[in-house]
Amino acid sequence: MAEDAFVSFRGVFAGYGGADVLKDVNCEVERGGVTTIVGPNGSGKSTLLKTVSGLLKPREGEIIFKGQNLVGKTPKEILKLGVVQVPQNHSLFREMTVQENVELGAFLVKDKKVVASRLNMIREMFPIVTERANDKAGSLSGGQQRLVEFARCLMLEPDLVVLDEPSMGLDPKTLKSMFATIKMMNNAGRTVLLVEQNARRALKMSHHGVVLENGKVRLSGTGSEVLNHPEIGALYLGGSIEETTAATVVPESPESESVE
Amino acid sequence: MNSTALLSAAKDGLLTGSVYALMATGLTLIFGVMDIINLAQGILVILAAYLSYALQIHWHIDLFVGLLITIPTMFVVGIVIERLFIGRLKGPEKTAMSILVTYAVSLLIEGALNMTFSVNDVQLQGWYVNRSFAIGSVHFGYIYMAGFVLAAVLLSSLYFMLYRTQFGVSVRASLADQTSAALVGIDVKRVSTICFGIGVAVTAAGGMIYGATNSFNASTSYDLISRLLTIIVLGGMGSLGGAMLAGVGMVFIGDMVGVIWSPVWSSMSYFIALTVVLLIRPQGLFGKQSARVA
Ligand SMILES: Nc1ncnc2c1ncn2[C@@H]1O[C@H](COP(=O)(O)OP(=O)(O)O)[C@@H](O)[C@H]1O
Ligand SMILES: [Mg+2]
Repeated sequence: MAEDAFVSFRGVFAGYGGADVLKDVNCEVERGGVTTIVGPNGSGKSTLLKTVSGLLKPREGEIIFKGQNLVGKTPKEILKLGVVQVPQNHSLFREMTVQENVELGAFLVKDKKVVASRLNMIREMFPIVTERANDKAGSLSGGQQRLVEFARCLMLEPDLVVLDEPSMGLDPKTLKSMFATIKMMNNAGRTVLLVEQNARRALKMSHHGVVLENGKVRLSGTGSEVLNHPEIGALYLGGSIEETTAATVVPESPESESVE
Repeated sequence: MNSTALLSAAKDGLLTGSVYALMATGLTLIFGVMDIINLAQGILVILAAYLSYALQIHWHIDLFVGLLITIPTMFVVGIVIERLFIGRLKGPEKTAMSILVTYAVSLLIEGALNMTFSVNDVQLQGWYVNRSFAIGSVHFGYIYMAGFVLAAVLLSSLYFMLYRTQFGVSVRASLADQTSAALVGIDVKRVSTICFGIGVAVTAAGGMIYGATNSFNASTSYDLISRLLTIIVLGGMGSLGGAMLAGVGMVFIGDMVGVIWSPVWSSMSYFIALTVVLLIRPQGLFGKQSARVA
């Protein structure tokens, strides 16, 4: 597995000035796959993703991508290496048009011809980019905005796409097309690092799953291993509160356990 | 109320108001992009006026020619202030801290100006300063006309930069959302520094026109900053169009009140207008969010 690692988190500690939110995170993202991080609210999933895209600098540790340490690099440098993030909160520029937003995805590409040809490709994948080209992004529904955010992030032809709870607030139908879009991105060769509340659904389509709990990796394995792990199922994948308190959860071990 | 008074107030609103709008645009640009409230904007206007004054006294450089020196100089002054004091501010208390920090900067500059130029009032001179022409019964001062043209040219250039250049795209994106801007590869820190420079550079033109139409010393900055803050809060913090409209509106209202009631009331009228607008629209006329003044 190690030689397949596309991204390696090694002893990552990070926070926002107070106590550490991430406390020694170690895990890997497989090349070409979909890796999903699940965990309770506030466990540090978004924080971990922010360290990948350079929005937050870890206090300690390394994040190795393509042989380079991402820690200390600016978001711009990290984008140039091929890592693009769609954050948890909506990130379109509401006052700009859909087209302007999508073009901004290629802000770092200086060659106008390249931008134009990529835009054409993106239009085929995401019809909404053409249909609503001149509408302000803020006038789109939540689901539509998500799709445009996906379209925008693909303008850089990234190697790694980092998605933070893309399904948040979507109705079931949009949800379905969103997961299909993630699959499509992955089939097109992009490695995906995903954080999802719809843990069951996400893990089903994932090659790899990571459970983050209280800023530490509690468990990692293949998607189905995490999905079928008895405690994890009860804790995070829709088990009731009663069940979780009744079940004797193994006390937190200093080492993260692996289900392989 | 007669029509001459109305016309005259409209003229003043447009001519003088546009210069205030220019100075306020700098302030609102800085707030919009950086969440920084630059209380030093008033003293920077006065600093710029004194720069024009020094060029005139020592080297006999015409006020308008002097802008070729004072605009770049004020841009650099802005960059230096940003680098030394502003760029270090971070976190949720950033806006509140910026008020303290820029107030301190303001006091530093005020002290330096008092030492260099004394506290006696001065006014900038030029052959055009006291001349005017009349259309009907409305008088147009040359310098006011020039101020209007200058403000119009500079504001248009700013808009061209914002809406027609790649740098402008990165400014607008940073104005909207710094995190999202960073995530598409915009160097928000660099954009911020340059915007601070631009926001301060406009004081060069504003200060020169102000200094040619008013006598001033360093403490004049207090009156200036309160007007500028009124304008940007009235227009909506971070809204460039709002700053323009509020700049013109403020002078117009002040003039009208002065004619209808009494000049004593005219400066009060800005604050009354401000209070009324904020009661109805806490985010200002064109603001997207309520003013985050701590
Ligand atoms: N910008 C921030 N400043 C301070 N604390 C934060 C910030 N963002 C998140 N936190 C804290 O970090 C912890 C982890 O948050 P987050 O990574 O967003 O969790 P998750 O995405 O797993 O729900 C929480 O306790 C949260 O309150
Ligand atoms: Mg989160």
